Amino acid sequence: MTWARTARAILAFVVLVLLHYTLRPLLGWRTPVDFLVIAVLLSAVRVRPGAAALIGFCTGLVADSLTPSAFGAGALAMTGIGAAASWLKAVFFADNVVLHGFFFFAGKWAFDIVYVMAERRVQGVELATQLLLWSPLSAAITAVAGIILLLMLRPVLEPQAA
Amino acid sequence: MARAVRSGTRVDTMLLVACCVMALLATVLPVTLREAIAGGLRRTVVAPLLSLQQQAERGRSAFLSREATTSRLDSVSLRNMQLARLETENERLRALLGLGRQLEWGFVSAEALRSFPIGEDHQRVLTAGSNAGVESKTPVVAPEGLVGMVLSVDPTQSIAILWTHRDFAASAMSADRSAYGIVYPHLSDSRTGEDIPPERYLLELRGVAFRTALKPGTPILTSGLGGVYPAGIPVGTVLGELQASEGWARTYLIRPAVRPPDVSNVIVLLPKRVEGQSLDRVWRSTVSADSAARKIAAAGDSIARRAAADSLRAAEANAARRVADSLARVGAVGQPAGSPSQPGARPGATATPPPAGRADTTRPSRPDTTGRGRRP
Repeated sequence: MTWARTARAILAFVVLVLLHYTLRPLLGWRTPVDFLVIAVLLSAVRVRPGAAALIGFCTGLVADSLTPSAFGAGALAMTGIGAAASWLKAVFFADNVVLHGFFFFAGKWAFDIVYVMAERRVQGVELATQLLLWSPLSAAITAVAGIILLLMLRPVLEPQAA
Repeated sequence: MARAVRSGTRVDTMLLVACCVMALLATVLPVTLREAIAGGLRRTVVAPLLSLQQQAERGRSAFLSREATTSRLDSVSLRNMQLARLETENERLRALLGLGRQLEWGFVSAEALRSFPIGEDHQRVLTAGSNAGVESKTPVVAPEGLVGMVLSVDPTQSIAILWTHRDFAASAMSADRSAYGIVYPHLSDSRTGEDIPPERYLLELRGVAFRTALKPGTPILTSGLGGVYPAGIPVGTVLGELQASEGWARTYLIRPAVRPPDVSNVIVLLPKRVEGQSLDRVWRSTVSADSAARKIAAAGDSIARRAAADSLRAAEANAARRVADSLARVGAVGQPAGSPSQPGARPGATATPPPAGRADTTRPSRPDTTGRGRRP
């Protein structure tokens, strides 16, 4: 990856992080868009799995600092999805919009599963509702937002050559 | 090449494992340590993001509460608009209370209701009737002066005509009793409805002796002649003379003391109070009570000003005394008794403060200017 591409990827990452802390609270939806997951996934496919895990860990830790009761859960989940996205990037080399949408959906749902499990706050029916209703809904909305952002940022985010 | 790939994979795996272990460790850290790390992050890296989030949330809550805020603003504006009206009404009621206190007895206070359509603004329904002692042809007054007369009476209410009514007439005089006449409404243009000219709300003082000239601004009171209105009720003030056809009498245009739109609460003078009683003192004392209250307020201000000036003067005197004392003390400590207080001072000089004006700067008055250009 050239310096220009690296700079553009960093810029896109920063924009997504800013969106997470501005647009998300502004919208205030019950099933919010997770811009941090989109940022980690888009970064992860451009770097090696180790670096992707590190990016995910740092991003998760930053997010966890606002929820000290679940401290570490976000870092663990982000590390996992970052590394997994980086290893599985060969699947998404085709730059297919639908595949990217599925990628975001699966990434967000996996993040929620790991997060809720590591957090150990909810149990029973509430856990099932969270994982089988709210998380898929949030993942779907995140996927839609991710596709829109990907289309908007396409000039900036060129996919890495296979 | 294969070794490099293998080595890279090993590094990736090690990084992944390290990150996972650290994340798992973070989940099981003691609360204090966890809070310390999270707090450190919040104060440094996350602080700008947190600020952005707070502003976004504030913006959202402002957006959500905009309708409630707008409706609250509307209701406050509405109340504010009503406030001016309430203040005016309050002032009028206070004045009415003052008038009632001056009258002491023989009156009934009533509300004057406007129950006639627009354009017929010459009558009022009063909320006091024969049960309260009101009779036909009894005068209706307000704190400002004469309003009109009761026309018909029911047990609980009565109908009064205002001075704007074409049947209104009252015997009147100038305040110095030099001119007498009859007051009528000024009916130069008797149109009705919305386009009533402003002159319609004026009065005329007719039949004033030709030899008597009234200056604009002269107060006109009821004279007590005719038996309906007692003497001394303010009717209005002279605006100017009207050109009349009669050559032996003058007619004056009068600005009325009471404006019809202001007639909302009135006092009905009962017949016993009207019989042979001059009410001149009532209005004079009402006016004087008002001016006395203003004078008291002004006096309070001047007393406060004088007290402030006195305290300032006392503070200046204290400061001057303190300076003089300290100078004296310095002189007493630094010099032996009987020696001059300052180097170069004459023997026998004391440490008393110098006079306010220097003797050498006091100029003698020039003989050529004496008595000229002096300020009184």
